[in-house]
Amino acid sequence: MSLDKQPNQKNLIGNKQEQDISVIDKAMQETIELSILYDFYGELLTENNKEVFVDYIFNDLSLSEIAEDKGITRQGVHDIIKRSSKKLREYEESLHLVKKFKTIEDKVNRIKSIIKELSLDNKEVSDGLLQEMNDLADDILHDL
Amino acid sequence: MAVKIRLKRLGKKKAPFYRIVVADSRSPRDGRFIEEIGTYNPRTNPTSVTIDEEAAKKWLSNGAQPTETVGRLFKQAGITK
Repeated sequence: MSLDKQPNQKNLIGNKQEQDISVIDKAMQETIELSILYDFYGELLTENNKEVFVDYIFNDLSLSEIAEDKGITRQGVHDIIKRSSKKLREYEESLHLVKKFKTIEDKVNRIKSIIKELSLDNKEVSDGLLQEMNDLADDILHDL
Repeated sequence: MAVKIRLKRLGKKKAPFYRIVVADSRSPRDGRFIEEIGTYNPRTNPTSVTIDEEAAKKWLSNGAQPTETVGRLFKQAGITK
């Protein structure tokens, strides 16, 4: 699969490089996004679909490797991954657990960085920062 | 024996972390691998990628096959063109 891409790479000229990197990031981003969705909703997939999905998304096996391993066609593997990804995204559409998790994670991290800032700089505890931490904590409780 | 270079996800739930590993293609799922040659951490900003370039080149020249994902990473890191 990766082999047939080799010849094209020779044609790449200077300014195409950057474009290429954004494509890389996009593909990787999708893999990461799907793996996080799986962390939240993976248990809702069937046992067999879980295995195929994990092989593809977590273990970086190719469609043909999974097909051979499972004794199904490459197209069959592709369909399972497509279907499972769609399901995981639908669960997120309805439940927003990933979105909530990320919001809370961001706020907790902000609190941690304020604490670090305060302890590192040996700065006088400012009312502003205390207020910000209190507001963040309130937001988190509200989001739960 | 076919040898593959893959990007394997590890890390706790909800906190993905990846390793670039060299593994025998016959044992793709048991988690065993021959050598770790890099990491990929999407949780830092910007994403941090480390690759042992020497090891990567050595494995590539010995015929190890990178997956599409790893192939892209290598290209991005300037290890392959």
